[in-house]
Amino acid sequence: MTAATLEPEGAPALPGNNLGRLICLTLFTPVRRQWLPVLSAALWIAKWVPFAQRHILQFNFIHFVRWTVVRELPFAGPREERDRLNYGYLFFESNFDGPWQHYIDAFAYCIPQDIRFVWGRGPAFPYPPPAEPLKKWIAMNSMEGGSYYCAYPESSTRMVMSAVAVKDALGDFVASSADLGPDEFKTRYDQFLSRLQNHL
Amino acid sequence: MGESRDRTGTAYALTVITAISPGQVEEVRKVIEGVPRGVSSPLAKLGTVHTSRLQIFDHLVYQGAPQKRDQLRWDYLVFTAAFDGHDLDPFLDSIVDQIPDEADSWWRHCLAYPGLKDRTAFKKWIRDNQVHTSLFAVASPNRSVPEVLESLALRERLVEFAIANQNQQTSAAELRERFRSAFGGEV
Repeated sequence: MTAATLEPEGAPALPGNNLGRLICLTLFTPVRRQWLPVLSAALWIAKWVPFAQRHILQFNFIHFVRWTVVRELPFAGPREERDRLNYGYLFFESNFDGPWQHYIDAFAYCIPQDIRFVWGRGPAFPYPPPAEPLKKWIAMNSMEGGSYYCAYPESSTRMVMSAVAVKDALGDFVASSADLGPDEFKTRYDQFLSRLQNHL
Repeated sequence: MGESRDRTGTAYALTVITAISPGQVEEVRKVIEGVPRGVSSPLAKLGTVHTSRLQIFDHLVYQGAPQKRDQLRWDYLVFTAAFDGHDLDPFLDSIVDQIPDEADSWWRHCLAYPGLKDRTAFKKWIRDNQVHTSLFAVASPNRSVPEVLESLALRERLVEFAIANQNQQTSAAELRERFRSAFGGEV
C-alpha cells in the first residue's frame, strides 16, 4: 500500500475508500509526544461540549468522524518485539460525501485554527490557509486500499438528515390530522408539505 | 471500561488494530480486497453497521524534516466500524454468530488470534487490540441503521405521493383518503 499521490480535483477515490456517494478518509499522522496530553484533553472536552459537536458537524457533508489518539500500537506478541515509535499518532477517520478535495477550501479558510490545533502538533504540518499545501498533505497521508462498507451508500448526509426530519414530521402530522375533516385536512396537508419543502 | 469515549448517541465507534503474522500481509490484502461490497458485504448481514473499513497499515508516512522517521516492524490490519449499540459485546456476538467465516478469513492471519470458537477468548483479543476513540461525532447520532433506511424510503414515498396528488382536481376528501391509505400507519 502506498499513500495517495495528489489526485486532480474531483478524481475518483481508490476503491478501498469509496462506495456510492461516500468516501472514507483515513489519516494516521504523527504527534509530538509532549503534545499528546493536550490533544487528548482537548478531544475529551470537545466530546462533552455541545457547541464543539455542532462546530465539528457544521459542514453538513460528514456522516461520521472520529479521532483517536494512539500512544502505542496494540500488540499481542512479546513486549520486546512491539513497534517502538518516536511519536504518538492521531488516527482520523471521516465518512463523508466525497470527493474531499471539494471541501478542503472550506476547512482551510473557515476553521483554520481547529485544523492547526489538532494536526499542527506533528512535524512538517502545512498550517492553512492557503488550502493547496493542506490538500497535498492530506493526499500524502491518506491511507489507501482495503475495503469499505456503508449501509446507505447512495444517500448524502443531507439526504439522511432530511429523511429523518421527514419521518418525524410525518408521524406528528398523521397523529394530529387523524380527526380532521377533508377541507381542514387539505389545508394542514399543504402547510405540512410547505414546512418540509427543504427536506423533500 | 472506557467505552463511553467510543459512543455518541446510540452509535459506537470501534477501532481495532491487529499485528499481522510475519509473511501473511499479502494474504490478508487479498482477503480484504475481495470482501464483497454494498449489500453483498458480510457487514450488511449484521444489520447494525453504518460504516466500516478494513485496511492494512504497512508503513507510516514520513512527513519530511524535521521528523525522525518511524518505521514499522510489523504490518497491521485495521478494522473500524460505526454500529448501533451501547456496548461492544453484543456486536462481537453478532460477528461470531452471523459472519464467523468472513471474520475468520481476515483476522486469522493476525498475531495471537484465538479463533471464534472460543467466544470469550475472541472478545478478549479484540478488546486487547482495541484503541479507544478520543472523539466521535455523528450527523444523526440517535438513528439506527434500520431507522435511517426506513426514513430514506419514507421520504421517497412522500415525494412520490406529493407529486402524484398535486393535481388541483383531486378533491379534499380523496386526498385525505389516499393519504391515510398511504401513511396511516406512520405514527
